[in-house]
Amino acid sequence: MSARDSDQVLCLLTLAVGLLLTLMPMPESLQAARPHWLALLIIYWNLEGGRLRLLGQCFALGLLLDLMTGTLLGQHALALVILCYLLERFRARIRFFPPWQQAAVVLALLLNDRIIHLWVVGLAGEGWPHWSWWLGPLVSVALWPWLFLLLDAMRRRQRVRKSS
Amino acid sequence: MNVPGAPYTSGGELAGRTTRLMLYALLAIILMSLDFRERWVDRARATAGLWVEPLVLLVEWPYQASARLGEALRSHRQLLAEARALRLDLAVVSAELMVLEELRQENAELRELLDAGQRPALGYVAAEVRRVDLNPFSHRILINRGSRDGLQPGQPVIDAHGLVGQVDEVFLHSARVILLTDPDHALPVRIERTGLRTIAYGSGLNAQMRLTDLPMNVDLQPGDVVLTSGLDGLFPAGLPVGRVDSVERPVGASFARADLRARGRPDRSRHLLVLDPIVERDEIQHPAPDPMPPEASEPDQSQSAAGDAAPADAAPSDAGGSL
Repeated sequence: MSARDSDQVLCLLTLAVGLLLTLMPMPESLQAARPHWLALLIIYWNLEGGRLRLLGQCFALGLLLDLMTGTLLGQHALALVILCYLLERFRARIRFFPPWQQAAVVLALLLNDRIIHLWVVGLAGEGWPHWSWWLGPLVSVALWPWLFLLLDAMRRRQRVRKSS
Repeated sequence: MNVPGAPYTSGGELAGRTTRLMLYALLAIILMSLDFRERWVDRARATAGLWVEPLVLLVEWPYQASARLGEALRSHRQLLAEARALRLDLAVVSAELMVLEELRQENAELRELLDAGQRPALGYVAAEVRRVDLNPFSHRILINRGSRDGLQPGQPVIDAHGLVGQVDEVFLHSARVILLTDPDHALPVRIERTGLRTIAYGSGLNAQMRLTDLPMNVDLQPGDVVLTSGLDGLFPAGLPVGRVDSVERPVGASFARADLRARGRPDRSRHLLVLDPIVERDEIQHPAPDPMPPEASEPDQSQSAAGDAAPADAAPSDAGGSL
């Protein structure tokens, strides 16, 4: 029971750090390639931690992201809800994929996320983004294994500390 | 169907989840369209923005702290060199100001002779760009002044080079500024050489704007200076906006188009001024009794004088010299 509680705390903590990283200033040239931290965290916690499995949670996180980054209210929310739905739909399969295949799924999910954004942005009549905008998912996937290992290690350590 | 670890694979559960997805997607789309049309949700958005604001301050804090540390560690010699350079700048700028002051007085006298109303005096609030990245689509920046400093939506924002944008959303300690280059932004402008009035739209590209509804036989050349026309009653007239980059007259189209290069560079300069058109434009007022504090009244008189009396050369060179 306490292990789940500590997991909960860790989950909230990583989400807060993810939100801060999303707002972190970066050089102009690298801005478009900013990894989608929140999506990566949602994917990790859904697959491994069994958390953030409700569409409503992802919707709320998306709204928060919209408020923080000043996008159209609901844009990130829509993208994250769809991401969460796809994750839930194929969760049983993705969980038992070998790591490289899992990374490919993450890339597909993030590209899908970008396509949803592109659709909304296109409807709102803002211009076609610079090509470097598509680097975002690639950078995110490059970071995915390390994030995965880091979060796994953190959870394991916490569990050991709790049980001893 | 009883795979362990996958409790949600039964048909009913899946259908329920799809329904919920549809509901949430519908909700998101309704929110987006309301936000896009600026109905109802903007008040909710403003209150929610106040709640999110501390997070932004938290992100910015380490950068501010490191900047302060860097200032504290700067060497004596560096500071002396900087002070010398600044003093030199000050001498040049005050010499220019003297010329402008004369022009301003002359202008005031001429206006009195013509019985025209005085130009509105401008107040301003100095602001700094917050070191926070927003999403790459919206051409918006966050500044470190908010409703606490008396900011209101619609106030024009300038930097040392020219007009940058206008205040869009105001929070307690910060405000969001919509840049001229945002595709949602339109600005009434005047071509300085010909006096032609038109509207400049944001292009969504960095430092670029477009003039789209020009007649085919328009007298416009690359290099023409573009100023605000002041027709909207929001931006004071005569602020430098940019320079014409290229003029296109596509065959078969009914309007000529031109690209503008904006003068204001919010991505380069961190220090901005939020202008405050306090004095009503039709109010007749003599220049002497100025409601501004003394250090504020000097440069803004020069501002209005620069835009007023010498829009040709004085305004751009003044802006360049004060750098």
